[in-house]
Amino acid sequence: MKSISILALVLALVPAVAGDSAYYLRLATLALIYMAWTVAFNLIFGHTKQLFLCLNALAGTAGYVAVVLAKDAGLSPWLTVPIGAAAAAGLGALFSYVSVRRGLGVIFLGIVTLAFSLIFHNLVLGLRQYTNGETGLVTRGLGLPLLEQPVPAYYVFLGVLLAALLTYHLLMRSKSGMAFRALSDDELTAQLSGIDVTRYKVLAAAVASAILGLAGALYAFYNGIVSPSVFSFVGIDIPVLIALLLGGMRTRLGPVLGAAAFTLIEEMVRPWGQLNVLVYGVLLIVLFTACREGLVPLATRAAAAFRGRRAPAAGSRRVQEAER
Amino acid sequence: MTAILFDGVVQGLQLSLLAVGITLIYGLGGVLNLAHGQFAVVGGVAAALFLQFGLDPISSGFGGILSAGILGLVVDRTLLLPAYRYRGEERLLLGLILTLGFSFLVDGYLNWQVPEFSLSFRLPVPMVEIGGIPMRTASLAASAIALAVFAGLFAFLKLTLTGKSIRSIIENEAGAELCGIDPSRTRTLIIFLAAMMAGVAGVTQGLSSSLGTEMGPEFTILGLLVAVVGGVRSINGTLAAGILLGVVNAFASHYVGAYVAYIILLSFAMATILVRPTGLLARFT
Repeated sequence: MKSISILALVLALVPAVAGDSAYYLRLATLALIYMAWTVAFNLIFGHTKQLFLCLNALAGTAGYVAVVLAKDAGLSPWLTVPIGAAAAAGLGALFSYVSVRRGLGVIFLGIVTLAFSLIFHNLVLGLRQYTNGETGLVTRGLGLPLLEQPVPAYYVFLGVLLAALLTYHLLMRSKSGMAFRALSDDELTAQLSGIDVTRYKVLAAAVASAILGLAGALYAFYNGIVSPSVFSFVGIDIPVLIALLLGGMRTRLGPVLGAAAFTLIEEMVRPWGQLNVLVYGVLLIVLFTACREGLVPLATRAAAAFRGRRAPAAGSRRVQEAER
Repeated sequence: MTAILFDGVVQGLQLSLLAVGITLIYGLGGVLNLAHGQFAVVGGVAAALFLQFGLDPISSGFGGILSAGILGLVVDRTLLLPAYRYRGEERLLLGLILTLGFSFLVDGYLNWQVPEFSLSFRLPVPMVEIGGIPMRTASLAASAIALAVFAGLFAFLKLTLTGKSIRSIIENEAGAELCGIDPSRTRTLIIFLAAMMAGVAGVTQGLSSSLGTEMGPEFTILGLLVAVVGGVRSINGTLAAGILLGVVNAFASHYVGAYVAYIILLSFAMATILVRPTGLLARFT
């Protein structure tokens, strides 16, 4: 809880530092969105070992549902954004439920969700009368003026991120947290000790998909335009996967730090234009072969070792446990 | 009608070339290769480069196919080594992510070095008439090459000792090892062969239409769908599924449009996984 408050304070000060530059403020806002997505993916992939390769489709479904309902049905975005998030949550829960029931392994769930991601892409292109195909829809002026000013928009997304982190914190502290830990260690053992595997996997997928959808729907309004390339596989799934690995799976602050680090890396390769795809590939390979733990566990151990010089070993262990 | 059917079969044979490679690598290596389409593209690009250097079309084609095979060899001996240290689910996950990363690496590199590059061979006689139906020579040649490759593969698997050991590993890796078969060497051989078959698909794509550097992911996805529908451990099933999906795709594209056709293919694969994870056509092999 303390770490979340410190993080909130630090992030709340960002507009004061970068407030003058619209470019850096937009970058910081995008980083917040990716942080929220990565927190959600940590629940799905890190804690319950479900390989969802359709984050773009979940966020995009929410985005398109929210925008199309606001545009064509004339509903208020205050209503359509929650509807979009609920649609994403329903889809995520459905995939999770079906995969547990049918006993799909990590690969088959990966293929099914990847297929869904492509179906989403083709549906958006095909349903031209609602989505305007490749060109996309302009979302500016649809009734969320808050998201059209840079500084308020930043705080809206900060609120989304903090809500996601708080949800994560509460989930992990409750009985579900224990179930998630047991699940990620050994699913069969967890089931044998009386944990309802289906229920907790579906719960994790639904909560995480709702977060993905909420951030996705708000992003659609913030971005000013929603098109298939805004919610692309390469633009969302791959960065989130890399950010999660960078930060460290199954940690509370790992997703946040990982997404921040990823934003920095991407800013550094931007001058080389199209090379970012190559960099994504190298990062995926290096992270998965060399450093599967991520930054936070490494830093925690370093900090524990540093403190261990003065404090007894048992104390440092407790620090490590508390911070994870 | 016949023209659409013919187009579908031609396209299906090409998909099968890709999908059989994915099936073999999955069955033998326990790795779902998400960079398989990139092998095809690398093969095609290499062939085009050989053409530019002034080689004749036939040797360039073979050069391209061999280049794809060598890339497969390198991937097996370097990139996938960490994955082979694990077994089962863990290996699958690591292999999936590593090959996904590799596919981005190849795409990014090609996009950077040879953007807007395309391979197309032109045949001297563009059209021939068979039984009153005009057919493109290039499509016929592409199908003939694909069929020849399949004939070669089946002969290799059924008739040679190495082929038999490959089939034994697909059946049961531990059992094959007990009979003195070295899975790691066979695995390298099969990835080499699978990558060459992808190279053939890439080169024949240049023959029947044209091949661009951005087509890797599409090849991978289509190959994956066919492999899934055919049964990820069955070679005959994959061949049949390729032709089936090629024909379905050709008819659907013609009658309801490309987007819906793609959605139909994807739903087909999804339904197969949910209803019969061993593959829709696996029983007929």
